[in-house]
Amino acid sequence: MREKETTLYFGPQHPGITGNMMVKLKVAGDTIVKAETHVGYLHRAFEKLMEQRTWMQSFPIVCRICVPEPDPNEENLARAVEEIEGREVPERAKYIRVMVLELSRLAAYFLWMGGQAGTAGLYTVPQWSVGDRDYILDLFEELTGGRIYHMYIWAGGVRRDLPGGFPDKVLRTMDYIESRLPEYDKLMFENAIFQKRAKGIGVIDKDKAMEWGVVGPPLRGCGIQHDVRKDEPYEVYDKLDFVVPTYEGGDIWARAMVRRKEMEQSISIIRQVIEKMPGGEYYNKVPNPLNWYVPPGETYVKTESARGEFGYYVVSDGSLKPRRIHVRGPAYVHGVSLLENILVGANISDVAMIMNSLGVCPPEIER
Amino acid sequence: MINMNKNLYNENQTIEEIKNTFHTAEIKLQRESRIIVKLRSDLIPPFLSYAKNYLAFNHLAHFSCVDWIEDNEFELVYLLYSYEKNIVVIAKTRISRDKAEFVTIKHLWRQAETYEREIHEMFGINFTGNDRLNEFILEDWDDIPPMRRDFNTIQFAKDNFYTRPGREDAQDVRETITKKSGEKIPDFAKEFSVRNLK
Repeated sequence: MREKETTLYFGPQHPGITGNMMVKLKVAGDTIVKAETHVGYLHRAFEKLMEQRTWMQSFPIVCRICVPEPDPNEENLARAVEEIEGREVPERAKYIRVMVLELSRLAAYFLWMGGQAGTAGLYTVPQWSVGDRDYILDLFEELTGGRIYHMYIWAGGVRRDLPGGFPDKVLRTMDYIESRLPEYDKLMFENAIFQKRAKGIGVIDKDKAMEWGVVGPPLRGCGIQHDVRKDEPYEVYDKLDFVVPTYEGGDIWARAMVRRKEMEQSISIIRQVIEKMPGGEYYNKVPNPLNWYVPPGETYVKTESARGEFGYYVVSDGSLKPRRIHVRGPAYVHGVSLLENILVGANISDVAMIMNSLGVCPPEIER
Repeated sequence: MINMNKNLYNENQTIEEIKNTFHTAEIKLQRESRIIVKLRSDLIPPFLSYAKNYLAFNHLAHFSCVDWIEDNEFELVYLLYSYEKNIVVIAKTRISRDKAEFVTIKHLWRQAETYEREIHEMFGINFTGNDRLNEFILEDWDDIPPMRRDFNTIQFAKDNFYTRPGREDAQDVRETITKKSGEKIPDFAKEFSVRNLK
């Protein structure tokens, strides 16, 4: 006899993600038969607002598109404007940008680690990882004045130069974080509970992954080695030495290990950046922000964020304000079409784990 | 910036292949690994299918829409990426604003369904063949689609929201504070503006 189906509303507040999003589940027993994503709790009409603001006024808006990792947004918009205008960026600014991007990637991975372990019931990890993330936020506070939203990367360069003694502080923080990673291994990645909950759960089909629009750690967790930093190097990534870790399996475990290995790579990139950073200007003068006409044109720029390819399609019509800025967040695909498909057949208790391992971030789905 | 002196073999070969198949297409190499293809609207579905199946552009990176209200047209923009060739193809077409209708491409990429739902909601474009054009981001929306250029955000805010008494619009908050408490607050913006400092 077929089991009776029940509707279960999972969310909008739940431990699986940063933000509010609801998944309407049809369950038989505790197996999911159908899943439907419902967003709309965080819509702030950023794209519409930006059409009515100057280019410079758009920078404080874009960083709010993603809470755990705002910097790829700023960098994307800055690079899009520079590309349409043909504006040069000083070499020093490019190095500073890469440093900020990698620091924000580390901060985002710490937040992910807390969420991922929390959904498996390991509640010590969130306490540790959110605490360690705060050391990175302290660096951001000193550099930019803001802990979460930085508004630091602007078209033409970055807003301020590094404060005195800042590189040493970054290196000390990196040493500390590196010394902490083995402890996280013992607590989380080598933990039998986590392994049992992560292996073989939430599997993405390797043959279909590219076609389905899977990007970032979930793609590399399928054993496919693609990273925007290598495929289409932006800023100074082509001058840095790093590898793109991959894992086979396509499950939560593979995605977790990809992120764990990438943390080591990020630390190494930050050290290289500080070693190679040239002196000189950190900002090329731009016109008066209130009188800044960007020539007509369009561009698509992308960065590798902690969750995958983050793209901006930007159109300028030659006026003071952007004609269209359309954001492509990785969660747009991961959180709707992919999630709805891989949740089918999963257990209710694994929903939050699967969601977190895909890096679903509702603010970038609805913006 | 972007190095245009790089070897553009992949780009040129792709352009050549598209040219040979779609004679009416306007093709432009924007820069290294960016090709813009402008097509007639009825050629878009065959082009996307061709690009996916024959040219290995199997990643639908983005699907966007731009409202060119002065031309009374919507521009639909499909961004395809090929992991093999490392090229983004920006395929564009224009449809009339008066007859905002297009065909779905969800049979080619299933994630296109989500993009089409958003564009349906924000621009009011109907995608025939997509049976899931239901409410996505907005809730109980009965105004004109909000991302259209003729949607007036300020008027919408005026009609739907009210200001707290004493904070009516265009009022300087400093004046209100001065009136209530008698404390004079300097106008920093005026005093220290770039013009005054000069």
